[in-house]
Amino acid sequence: MAIGGFVLAMGLFVAVEWAARREGSRIPTIGDVCGAVMRAEVARVPVGRIVLLVFWWWIGWHFLAR
Amino acid sequence: MVEEDVAVPPPRSWDRPAVTVPVFAALAAVGGQFPGFTHQANLFILAVGGVFVWAGLAGWVRQPARPPVRWRAPAAWWWLLPVAVFGVLESATFLLGSSDDYPTFSRLADPLLEREVVRSVGYFSWLTAFWGLVRR
Repeated sequence: MAIGGFVLAMGLFVAVEWAARREGSRIPTIGDVCGAVMRAEVARVPVGRIVLLVFWWWIGWHFLAR
Repeated sequence: MVEEDVAVPPPRSWDRPAVTVPVFAALAAVGGQFPGFTHQANLFILAVGGVFVWAGLAGWVRQPARPPVRWRAPAAWWWLLPVAVFGVLESATFLLGSSDDYPTFSRLADPLLEREVVRSVGYFSWLTAFWGLVRR
């Protein structure tokens, strides 16, 4: 059941990205979303940029090194 | 969306696929040699990831602001659907102890990532996406 659920989640990621890439779509691509998050600042500190870069670093460590 | 006032460095001659793809492939081939749970793998991720985070925060290869986005904020909520499905499943399987019956996503991935080739492909994908974030 868990495997089916994860397959469903991956399928949904692909489906939303596909919908976002259609002509005239108002849904942002995953790249657009990341870009918006990375522009977030608090008191001129690029919090969004820091969070996303460190999060991706953690993903690599979690799956590839841990 | 408001265009931000960010100093963008001049284009780097080496920041192009003809250079970065072979470099990432070489790094992925090296990283794939290190099995998980080893000092080498931890040091490799720490070093490579550290350089990428530094490059991303220092803005070494940051690209000029893109044209105004065409999407609308409410439509972005569609991304919550896959994130929520994944998050609920991952949390539930984690809380259930990540057993054979209810494995977490990383537990499912571990047997695949034990193979060097798959690990190298994983490294290459991770590095490529990381570079995409660094350049934004």
